[in-house]
Amino acid sequence: MNSWQHGALAQGLLRCHDCTALWPVTMDSQHCPRCGAPLHSRAPNSLVRTWALLLTATLLMLPANLLPIMRVAMLGQGEASTIFGGVIELTKHGLWGIAIVVLAASILIPVGKILALTSLLLTIQFRWTTNLRQKMIMFRIVHWIGRWSMLDIFVVGILVALVQFGNLAYIVGQTGALAFGGVVVFTMLAANTLDTRLIWDRHLQEASIGSET
Amino acid sequence: MTEAVPDSRIACHECDLLMQRPEIHGDQVVHCPRCGSRLISSHPNSAERSLALALAGLILLVPANLFPVLTLEVLGREQQQTIFSSAMALYQDGLALVALAVLLFAIMVPLLKLVLLAYVAGALHLQTPWPGLSLAMRSYQHLDQWGMLEVYLIAVLVSVVKLVDIATVHPGLGLYSLSALIAVTTLSSSQLDPDLFWHQIDDLNKSSLVQETFDE
Repeated sequence: MNSWQHGALAQGLLRCHDCTALWPVTMDSQHCPRCGAPLHSRAPNSLVRTWALLLTATLLMLPANLLPIMRVAMLGQGEASTIFGGVIELTKHGLWGIAIVVLAASILIPVGKILALTSLLLTIQFRWTTNLRQKMIMFRIVHWIGRWSMLDIFVVGILVALVQFGNLAYIVGQTGALAFGGVVVFTMLAANTLDTRLIWDRHLQEASIGSET
Repeated sequence: MTEAVPDSRIACHECDLLMQRPEIHGDQVVHCPRCGSRLISSHPNSAERSLALALAGLILLVPANLFPVLTLEVLGREQQQTIFSSAMALYQDGLALVALAVLLFAIMVPLLKLVLLAYVAGALHLQTPWPGLSLAMRSYQHLDQWGMLEVYLIAVLVSVVKLVDIATVHPGLGLYSLSALIAVTTLSSSQLDPDLFWHQIDDLNKSSLVQETFDE
């Protein structure tokens, strides 16, 4: 038996996404008799959906980083603050630890997520077969870490609610926050629609064809 | 009528490897031998532990949302903030979608997750086939990653650091309740055994079917 035939699909079984029950592949696109979830041997249109969501997130990166996420006004003097500007501001006050946390959550993680998902999509698309276990670890990190990028959105919400002292000092949320929230939500959705089993399908089919010839 | 029975084996959700179901003893985590994903995280008393934690979480959710998380003091004037008020402030600045995201991820989803978990775990503990158990369990699994209380807590800490130079910040009762709530929800996620839950839900649903045919 070739190694790709160890897959459930190759043996005529599909796994319910929600309750993990195994059913014959003939039940594709019916509902799971155990939990009622729609059954699919592989996530429908996984590649197209993930590319589309990832592209949306990538495009939103521009307004998210270029537009101010909030405006801080003190004694009548207003100053718009972008995500990166906020990090710089923190380092100016010597708050290096917190600056690194914000830098990681708001810039490094979203960029890293987009790069990681792109490389996984290319792996499937071009049937790359190297370092699959490492790529799975990368996928799990991307999937787990996604939500932490909401940090800056929550910070804006908290600051806007707290700093409301009329002419003395106030903070207003701005459109950059909307774009940034979009980046976070769309990359999370992209990680959800990516069916990692495709990586193994392509890789193992390729390997078995290679070993037969 | 013959009833559909799923295959007794298990398949990895990340690489599709088909395996015999391993024998499990006590608290045990089983990883996929090929790709390393977590296949089964077994906790024998999962239903009881989840029920207790979900109820504790529902109780803590009340003060975490009603009491102010932070209070800011500038020249004798005070401004208080709750999770809900941080969403409303964004709404007033014209960022309705961002406000909705905060409302969903920091209030609605955590609440809904606890309600669903208490419902399913309660039914399993009492061995009563309450209606919609499968749907409740599925909803819980899909909502899981969208609850972001712990991210909100870190955001509170970042905000404190940003404000502490310019004004006096007081932590409120809401902050302590929120921290306790996060401890409880994190524990409940780690004590949940979805594999066990699905088998018990299945058994309950089947026993209710048998009961119905018996009544006829």
